[in-house]
Amino acid sequence: MRDIFFDLSIRSVRLNYLRSILASVGIVIGVVAISVMGMLGTNMQLEVKDQLSSGANTIVITPDVVRMGPPGSTPTSSGTSDVISKAQLSKIKIAAGSNASYIIPVYSTNTEFTLGSVPGRGMIYGIDPGDITSFLTIENGTNIGGINDALVGSTIATNFNLKLGSRIKIGSSSSGSRPEVRIVGILKERGMASDNVGTDNAIIVSDEWYTNQYGGKDEYPQVNVIVKNIDSISGVETAIDTKLNTDAKKSVVRIQDASSRLSSITSTLGTMTTFILAIGAISLLVAATSIFNVMMMSVTERVHEIGILLSIGTERGEVRRMFLYEAVILGILGGGVGGIASLVIGYSVVSAMIGSTAYFFMPESISYIPIGMVIGIVVCVVSGLYPAWRASNMDPIDALRSE
Amino acid sequence: MNDSPLIRLSEVSKVYHLESGDFAALKKISLDIYEGEFIALMGPSGSGKSTMMNQLGILDVPTSGELFIDGKNMADMTNLERTHMRRDIIGYVFQKFYLIPLLSAYENVEYPLVLKYKKRDTTGKAAAVLKSVGFDKEMGEHRPNQLSGGQQQRVAIARALVNDPKIILCDEPTGNLDRKTGFQIMEILCGLYEEGKTVILGTHDPKIAEYAHRTITLEDGRIAG
Repeated sequence: MRDIFFDLSIRSVRLNYLRSILASVGIVIGVVAISVMGMLGTNMQLEVKDQLSSGANTIVITPDVVRMGPPGSTPTSSGTSDVISKAQLSKIKIAAGSNASYIIPVYSTNTEFTLGSVPGRGMIYGIDPGDITSFLTIENGTNIGGINDALVGSTIATNFNLKLGSRIKIGSSSSGSRPEVRIVGILKERGMASDNVGTDNAIIVSDEWYTNQYGGKDEYPQVNVIVKNIDSISGVETAIDTKLNTDAKKSVVRIQDASSRLSSITSTLGTMTTFILAIGAISLLVAATSIFNVMMMSVTERVHEIGILLSIGTERGEVRRMFLYEAVILGILGGGVGGIASLVIGYSVVSAMIGSTAYFFMPESISYIPIGMVIGIVVCVVSGLYPAWRASNMDPIDALRSE
Repeated sequence: MNDSPLIRLSEVSKVYHLESGDFAALKKISLDIYEGEFIALMGPSGSGKSTMMNQLGILDVPTSGELFIDGKNMADMTNLERTHMRRDIIGYVFQKFYLIPLLSAYENVEYPLVLKYKKRDTTGKAAAVLKSVGFDKEMGEHRPNQLSGGQQQRVAIARALVNDPKIILCDEPTGNLDRKTGFQIMEILCGLYEEGKTVILGTHDPKIAEYAHRTITLEDGRIAG
């Protein structure tokens, strides 16, 4: 048999079911807001982490250039070069030694291009064809074989409806003679590339074709070092730093890996998640006011009943318990429905906003539902504390007279 | 009858502090009530009868003077101890029954047992006491609003009796009942007196007061006779 005070609370909730449901709706909204916002933020973080961690074993080396002019202008530097020279590449190779499985010099620039009469803009990378498959996946077609062969990223391929064999004219349509490349392969989608080679909206040509068109042979804007063992990454970075950045006052190259980018991006996303969680918490605050109001109404309406309970020997703690049970029932009701709604709404929102629910059921993500439910119940109990205290501290004679 | 009184009032006064000034509802009342007595407390409206019943029911404490119940001075007791006295020593029957509306007749009778033993009654005591006032199991499942006034008062008496209290306090127990039902209720109370309970009956009806063996009349907060 159940606790008689719990029975009294359940019957009171049932008696005023409409009011109780309305109060619980507030908790439902609060729980959904907290859970969904939390899950959305976490899924974003996990998605980004996954995309970046695919290049976690890559060190990106770029010239340590201080841009003095506006964006797009020629970079000027405080005494350092804005490219990595052949000599510096050799030093990188020596420093990395046997720890590196690949050392990939990458040429890159932003370019206009035309497919038929349709113009477009994107990055063009010049990479040794032998290095391409070491970090890029060709989803359709083959690797670059001939001098005019090119690969395209998945976004360009989709947007321009490119097929294998399609030809793209590189350069501005206003310029006279423009070189043409033939698409021999379409790359797999990479998303956010941690190695600074974002190929989704790019054209990849051979290093030879690139330097023929743009010049700057052996002057690389970037060199990527793929290490054999991820544990050796910091050792390799130190070795390169020691070898190239010999002047303590002025760095020649900037050395980065995915982990520093990852921590920076996840930290930003974490801040965003906290912010949107705070917005969700505001709805719980509104719900708390609603529960408080309902509990105060319940106490006010039942003053006479409280008087009866106290006059026949009910302890004040038992009266308090009865009203707290009522708050817990409203919390469990709101939290339970909120939890189920969070699952459905959260799945839909994550699917719609991130495009993938691969991480939805991961503990870091799904745990926001029980967390939201517990917060909802705690909010209910806290909201019910004062009304319960007020009920238990009534004078029995005054309460009986309130009829 | 025991030599020492079950209830002793020694110069008990009760003063209410109102906006219009202090109002003394009881003025230095001294009174002894012995175990097994059947007492009628009479008096017109405003005589202090209800205030006196509240003092005897430990719902209130005197402003001055001393009130002893079952040998204990109410002034020396904590709020929780007074609550336990109300639960264990006193059975209160109100004029308007004051049953708990959300509980069935059976649960209303069971309720004081739950308060005392901190668990639902599995001994059958609640059902037995309910049966003693003429309720079968089916009737016991009814909520108070499904019962007549007389039936509600029977349930209220059963609730007052279930913890086997020494004192039964009845405040105008027939006030909300028709004459016939009122007499039936009085017969039950007489039966309790015959079983050895101390019954204190607050009433303004001389016919009802005739059931008692001792009548105390209050007038203007003092014992008039």
